[in-house]
Amino acid sequence: MDNTRRTFLAQAAASLGLMYLSGLTPEVLAQAHEHAKAASRNLDVQPFRFFTPQQAADFEAFAEQIIPTDETPGAKEANVVRFVDFALSEIEPQNKQDFTKALEALNAQAKKTAAQAASFAALSSAQQVEAMKAMEKSDDFGTLKGYVLVGFFGDPADGGNKDEIGWKLIGFEDHFYYAPPFGYYDAQAVKEKA
Amino acid sequence: MSTAPEQRRYKLTDNVDFLIIGCGASGSVLARELSRNGFSVVALEQGPWLDRKQFTHDEYRVQAQNLLTNNPQKQPTTFRKTPADKAVKQPAVIYGRMVGGGTVHFTANYWRFHEIDFIEASKKGAIAGTGFADWPITYADLEPYYTKAEWELGASGQAGASPFDPPRSKPYPLPPMPVKSSGVLFEQGARKLGLNPFPAPVAVISQAYQGRLPCAHCGFCQGFGCEMGAKSSPLPTMVPQAVATGRCEIRPHSYVRKIELDAKGRAIGAVYFDQHGKESLQHAKAVIVASNGSETPRLLLLSKSNRFPNGLANSSGLVGKYLMFNTDTIAQGTFEHELNEYKSIEVTRISHDFYEIDPKFGFYGGGGLSARFLWTPISFSFGGVPPSAPQWGSEYKKYLAKNFNRTMMVMGHGTSLPLADNSISLDDTLKDAWGLPAMRVTYKDHPDDIKAAKYMNGKAMDILEAAGALQTWSFPVGEQNLGYHLLGTCRMGNDPRSSVINSGHRTHDVANLFLCDGSSFVTSGRGQPTESIQALAFRASDRITALAKKGEI
Repeated sequence: MDNTRRTFLAQAAASLGLMYLSGLTPEVLAQAHEHAKAASRNLDVQPFRFFTPQQAADFEAFAEQIIPTDETPGAKEANVVRFVDFALSEIEPQNKQDFTKALEALNAQAKKTAAQAASFAALSSAQQVEAMKAMEKSDDFGTLKGYVLVGFFGDPADGGNKDEIGWKLIGFEDHFYYAPPFGYYDAQAVKEKA
Repeated sequence: MSTAPEQRRYKLTDNVDFLIIGCGASGSVLARELSRNGFSVVALEQGPWLDRKQFTHDEYRVQAQNLLTNNPQKQPTTFRKTPADKAVKQPAVIYGRMVGGGTVHFTANYWRFHEIDFIEASKKGAIAGTGFADWPITYADLEPYYTKAEWELGASGQAGASPFDPPRSKPYPLPPMPVKSSGVLFEQGARKLGLNPFPAPVAVISQAYQGRLPCAHCGFCQGFGCEMGAKSSPLPTMVPQAVATGRCEIRPHSYVRKIELDAKGRAIGAVYFDQHGKESLQHAKAVIVASNGSETPRLLLLSKSNRFPNGLANSSGLVGKYLMFNTDTIAQGTFEHELNEYKSIEVTRISHDFYEIDPKFGFYGGGGLSARFLWTPISFSFGGVPPSAPQWGSEYKKYLAKNFNRTMMVMGHGTSLPLADNSISLDDTLKDAWGLPAMRVTYKDHPDDIKAAKYMNGKAMDILEAAGALQTWSFPVGEQNLGYHLLGTCRMGNDPRSSVINSGHRTHDVANLFLCDGSSFVTSGRGQPTESIQALAFRASDRITALAKKGEI
């Protein structure tokens, strides 16, 4: 029995009484369970297949500005860069060109911000923000930002959102069943009725 | 990818009773009904045949790999606003591309049309420059088939809960789904405004039904396949039931390029490419096209011949014309406490108070409002944040953290007028991966449709505010360039000069060729077409069966 399955069954058993009343019978749980999430993809030691080390550094700096590490973990801890390397190598190779072009546009903007900077990663944080603000309406910015968000909030089965960092941040649990009440207002409505 | 279960197999040379092209919302209903009625059926489906166990919550893969929908890389489309504009390559339609069709990934809103939808032109009068017309059938003609669709597929709802509901011969087979926080807030806000919110009718089973287990509230309806089989798409219902007759073969990965005719102008079958690109001709005594409101007209246009130089069954010149998308508007609001809208089905409360907007405002139109949440984690980070909030950085991150579970939306779903320029046609230059002319979409909303959509969006904002939202905002309401309700392109009617099919879905031009899907619509309804598409398919099955039994096909 793998861990995912074990966790699922433990969770299910803990609240089985309540669930049964809501129509979530053991049969329903068993069927939901068949689908319980796939194991996370571990990309920690995966060598880069798409990025050069320089590109990876530039994109990581960008990703850290989009979702910084502050009181909670950010894009860096969620393995966004390794996810994108995997996604562009295996899932969407047709988008490699667009991504490379967007990264080049980011570095061109970095040069405009500080002519002597080797690349975006070499800028100070304040300079990085300045460069990003100057291009934030562009499609290139949208492409890079989009991949950061997919890597941060995507299914850990694809290697991003490591340890469900993105999901924990926003309070999303990827269970495959829930019982009502789902939120504060429907719970209140049930109370008022009773 | 594809799991074709044990089923009856036919040879290409077997002259089956019916060849159905497209195995989605309507095609699978026709396949099940006709095979149950004793006929031999082959259904060709361009997409795969997936099992519910293959469905995933992986937002990125479902979107990036078009697991459930048409593939813009292989099936590129072009778009232009008017026939005078140059068409530009861009995704212009989204439809379900798999056995079960778009109903596999739809939100599962299951609304009947109202009586007015069938007779609105004669009630309200012609609208200049449009093809606004009555249907050749009425609500009363279709009512038994709405009931049949709700009971055969499995719908949950509360009969009589809306004062605007049309008459019905039977209640819903299943009680409404449990209300969510968005439904409670919508109900509170709408009641404050004197409106009549009611439990949303949905094609999701709230209790065990016909051997299927009920919804487990996983929250992945819109855009995803239901791993529970609780969403009442044809995949866990019509499809296995058709196969179980022993008279129906469903052939996935079959991309049809032409309907073939004999010297007398009767359809003899269709030519399609299989998974390996091999071309085959499946013979049949009659052909039913159920490929959706974009691919059905495209196939007829691709099937032109000396006898039909403008496209098959196109003597009216209306094949592909009068395309209608419906309008959609999105208003969002944030609230003090957690709603946790990512759980359970999207929509639990709706309103039909603005089904017909008062003509005193000076424009035609109307629609429904629904309380919902459209987002999953990735899509929320793109679309759930108001434009006034930071779009990246620490403050953005804090916004997402706080509001993912405190946001809901009210959507407006509205009318589109039939306009002859709005159409599906063949692109002059672009080809698809099979070398066939690509689909060209021409679309510009009628000004009344935009006005009605804006009106509905204003009401949606009012409801959110009346419900006590801390902040409200809405997506801009404007002209559309991407359609997913694909309606009206082979409309039904009594006059062969102004319609493509008759009220029994037979083409006016070819006696053994039938069309049945969103293309059959004469008007757009109010934004939830699926139940009507399926009711039409149940009705068409009866009509076609009667003709066949009398030897009149």
